[in-house]
Amino acid sequence: MRSRVVRWLPGVVVAAGTLALPPLLSSGHLSVYILLGLAAMVTIGLSLLMGYAGQVSLGQASFYAIGGYTAGLLSVHSFPPLLGLLAAPVAAALFALLVGVPLLRLRGHHLAFATLATQLILLSLVGQADWAGGAIGLQGIPRLSVGGYEFAEDISYAYLTWAAVALTLIVAHNVVASRSGRGLRALATSETAAAASGVPVGGYRLAVFALSAAFAGLAGGIYAFYLGYIAPGSFPVLLSIEYVVMAVVGGLGTLWGALVGATAIVLLIQVLTTIGTQPGMPSYAPSVLSYAVYGLLLVVVVLFLPHGMVPAARRAVERRMTQTLTVEKR
Amino acid sequence: MIEGSVIEVRDLTVRYGAAVALDGVSLTVGAGEMVALIGPNGAGKSTLVNTLSGILRPASGRVTIGGRLAQVPEGRQMFPDLTVDDNLRLGGWRVRNRDTGPIYEVLPDLVKLRRRRAGLLSGGQQQMVAVGRALMSRPDVLAVDELSLGLAPLVVADLVRHLRELNAERGLAVLLIEQNARIALDLCTRAYVLEAGRIAVSGSAEELAASPTVAAAYLGADAPVIRASLKSLEQLEGRPDHEEEGVAR
Amino acid sequence: MSELLQYLITGVGGGCAFALVGSGLVAIYRVTRVVNFAQGAFAVIAALTASTLLATGLPHGLAEGLAVAVGALTGLLVGLVAIGKPGTPPGAALIATLGLGVFAYAVEVLIWGDQPRSFPGVPGAVEIFGARFQAHYLLIIGATLAVFAGMGLLFTRTDVGRALSACASNPYAAKVVGISVTRMGLVSFAIGGALGGLAGVLVTPIQLVTFDYDVTLIVGGFAAAILGGLVRPALTLAGGLLLGVAQALVAGYGNAAYQMEVALVLMLAVMVWQAARKPIVQEETA
Repeated sequence: MRSRVVRWLPGVVVAAGTLALPPLLSSGHLSVYILLGLAAMVTIGLSLLMGYAGQVSLGQASFYAIGGYTAGLLSVHSFPPLLGLLAAPVAAALFALLVGVPLLRLRGHHLAFATLATQLILLSLVGQADWAGGAIGLQGIPRLSVGGYEFAEDISYAYLTWAAVALTLIVAHNVVASRSGRGLRALATSETAAAASGVPVGGYRLAVFALSAAFAGLAGGIYAFYLGYIAPGSFPVLLSIEYVVMAVVGGLGTLWGALVGATAIVLLIQVLTTIGTQPGMPSYAPSVLSYAVYGLLLVVVVLFLPHGMVPAARRAVERRMTQTLTVEKR
Repeated sequence: MIEGSVIEVRDLTVRYGAAVALDGVSLTVGAGEMVALIGPNGAGKSTLVNTLSGILRPASGRVTIGGRLAQVPEGRQMFPDLTVDDNLRLGGWRVRNRDTGPIYEVLPDLVKLRRRRAGLLSGGQQQMVAVGRALMSRPDVLAVDELSLGLAPLVVADLVRHLRELNAERGLAVLLIEQNARIALDLCTRAYVLEAGRIAVSGSAEELAASPTVAAAYLGADAPVIRASLKSLEQLEGRPDHEEEGVAR
Repeated sequence: MSELLQYLITGVGGGCAFALVGSGLVAIYRVTRVVNFAQGAFAVIAALTASTLLATGLPHGLAEGLAVAVGALTGLLVGLVAIGKPGTPPGAALIATLGLGVFAYAVEVLIWGDQPRSFPGVPGAVEIFGARFQAHYLLIIGATLAVFAGMGLLFTRTDVGRALSACASNPYAAKVVGISVTRMGLVSFAIGGALGGLAGVLVTPIQLVTFDYDVTLIVGGFAAAILGGLVRPALTLAGGLLLGVAQALVAGYGNAAYQMEVALVLMLAVMVWQAARKPIVQEETA
C-alpha cells in the first residue's frame, strides 16, 4: 500500500505542478515551457529507441520536421487544422516505416550515420521544394482550432503541449509495461538472445522506430501551429544531437529520465542564453555557451554517468534508504 | 624470492568481478627448470599465465618474475594479417629487438614461411611462430599455454623437441600449461595440478604419473585428455597436418 | 570531352578531401574500434588555424604544416578523452567524440567567429586537353597520393606502424607481446587528426570553410571509408575519389543542389548492401 503511494506520488506531484504552472509564467517563460514539452516528447521516443531497442538515431529531428511540415502544409491548404495535427504523427511514423525497412538492417554507428544521412537528404530536398516553401520556409500557418475553439494564446499551447506530453508518457509506459515491452528489454540486452527466445526482433525494432517517430511528429505538428512558420533551418542536425544529449543525460530507457534530461538541458540552455545576451557580451556568446555545454555534458555523462541522471539518482536514493533501514533495525 | 627461481607465486588470488578464478595459488619455477601445470578446462590455468605476464592484475598475493617472462598464449594468437616475419619482429617489441635472424636458426622450418601471412598457416606452423615470437624478447622463462591443443601428435612431438633443445642448450626455463597430462609429465621434471582455482597436488613428474588419483583423473582411459589425443591421432591418420585449420583468434 | 575531363579532375580533387578524412576514420577505427565523429572537426580546426597563421604573415607550407600539427594535437586530445579512461566501450567513446565535435564548435566560433573563411592556394589555372581548372587541384591530388603511399609505408615498414597493425589485427596478442593498446590508440587518434587536418588545409582554397563544414566532411569521409568496411585505406581512397567524381558529374551535368544527396545516397546504398550480404548481427559488441 505504502509503496504504491510512493510510486505514484512523484507522478501526481509533477502532473499537478505542470497544470498549475502556465498561468504563473511570463510570456517569455511560457514559450520556454512549451518548447521544453515538445523537446520532452521527442526525447521520450528517442530514449525508448536507444534504451529499449539499443539503437542510436542522429536523425530524430527529421521526424519532428515531417510532423511540422505535414501539419503546416495541410492547414495552409485549408484543411482543418485538427486534421493536420492528427496527420503529423501518422506521417512521421509512415516515413519511419518506409526508411526503417532498409535502414534498420544496420546497427550501431552504421545506423547512426544512416539516420544522420536521412535527415540531411530530407532537409536538402525540402529546401529545394517550392511547394513546401523552399529554403525560405512555410509561412502563414494558421493557429490551431478545434470545433469553434481557437488556440490563440500561448497558454492554450502550453496546455496542449503538456497534454500531448502526458499522452506520450502514457503510451510509452504502456508499451514498456506490456509483453512486447519485456521483449524489447531483451532486445536491448542482447539481440541474439532475444531472437533465440522467439522475440520478433525486426518487427519490434521497426515498431519502436515508428513509435518514436510518431512522438516526434506530434511534437513537430504542435510546433508548426505554435510558431506559425517553419523552415528547413528550424531542424538542423544539431537539433537531433540535442535530443541525444537530453536522452543520454536523463538516462536511456527510462521515461522519467527523458523528461528530466529534457528539462535539465532546456533550462540550462535558457540560463546560458540569458547570460550570453547580457549587454557587453559578444553576439556569438549564446551559441558558444550552448555548444560548449552540449558537448561537455555529453562527454561527461557518457564517461562518468553512463546510465544517466535518473538511474544514478534512483540508485543513490535506494542506497540511502537501505542504509536508513539498517540503522533503524539496530 | 628463492635464490635461482624465475617464477615465484605466493598466495595468488585473482577474481573476475565476484567470481574467484585463482584462490591462494603458490608455485615456483627454478632457473632452467621445466615445470608443468596440468588441470581440466576452467581450472584457472590461463588466468595464471595472464597474471604472470601482467595482462591480469591479482586481487591479492605476490608474483615475482626473476628475469624476463615471455608468453606463448593459448590459441596461438597470431596477428593474422601480418607476415610471419612481422609477427616475430613484434615479439621483440618490449626489448626493442628487431633481429629475427636468430629465430630462423632455432626454428628453421619458419624460413620458408617468413613472407607468408600468419593467418594462412596451419595450426602447427602458427604454434611454431608463437614460440618464435616469444623467443624474440630474449626470455629467461617461457610460459606456454596449451601447446598441444588441436595439433596432431607428430606436430606436437616436433614442438616438444624444440622446447627440449631450448631448455638444454640455452637453459631456458619453461612453464608448460597443458590439458594433455601425458605430454606435460613426459617433458617436465616437476608438475602442479590445478583444480577449481587451487593447487590440488604437486610433485615430481614421476610421482604424479605414478599417483593413482592423478592417473585416474588425467591419464585414465576416460580422461578428457586421452580422448583428445585419440581424436588427434585420428586426424593424423585422416589428413596431413597442413590441412588443419590455421585460423587464429 | 574537355568538359568531362574538367569535371573528372575537379571531382578527384574534391574526392581527395573525403578520402583523407575517411582514412583518418579508418586509422582510428582499425586500432580502437571507435568511429570518430569529431573527425570533421580536425579538418575545420586545421583550416581555420592555417587561415590565421597565413594572415599573420607566415609563409605557405610552414603555416599549413603547423596547422596539420595542430590537427594532430587535437586528435590526440580527442583520443585522450574518448579512450583514455580504462574500460570505455567503443559505443560510449563514439558518443563522447560526438560531444567533442559539438564542443569544437564552441572553440571554433569563440576563436574564429561564425563567418566562412578561406585562403589562397596554388595560384593560377592549368589547361590540359582543353580542360581548364585551378592549379591548386594538382596539389590536392599530388599531396593525397603521396600521403596514402606514405601511410602504406608507415603501416608495413616501421615499428610503430607494425604495432598499430598488430593492435588492429589482434589486440589480445598485442598485449601479450607488450604493446600498450591504449597508447597505440592515442597514436592512431593523432594520425587521424593529422589526416583530417591535411584534408582541411588542402580543401580550404577551393572551398569556403565555416565551423559547421565538418558535417559535410564527416559524412563524405564516412561514405568513402564505409566502402572498405572502415578498415581498408586503399578502398577508402577509391571510395573518396568515386564520390568526388560522382558529385562533380551530378553538379556539372545535372543540378549542383543535389551534390550532397549523391554522397548520402551512395553511402546508404553501400551500407544497406553490405548489411544484406551478411545479415548476422555483428555489431552487438560495438
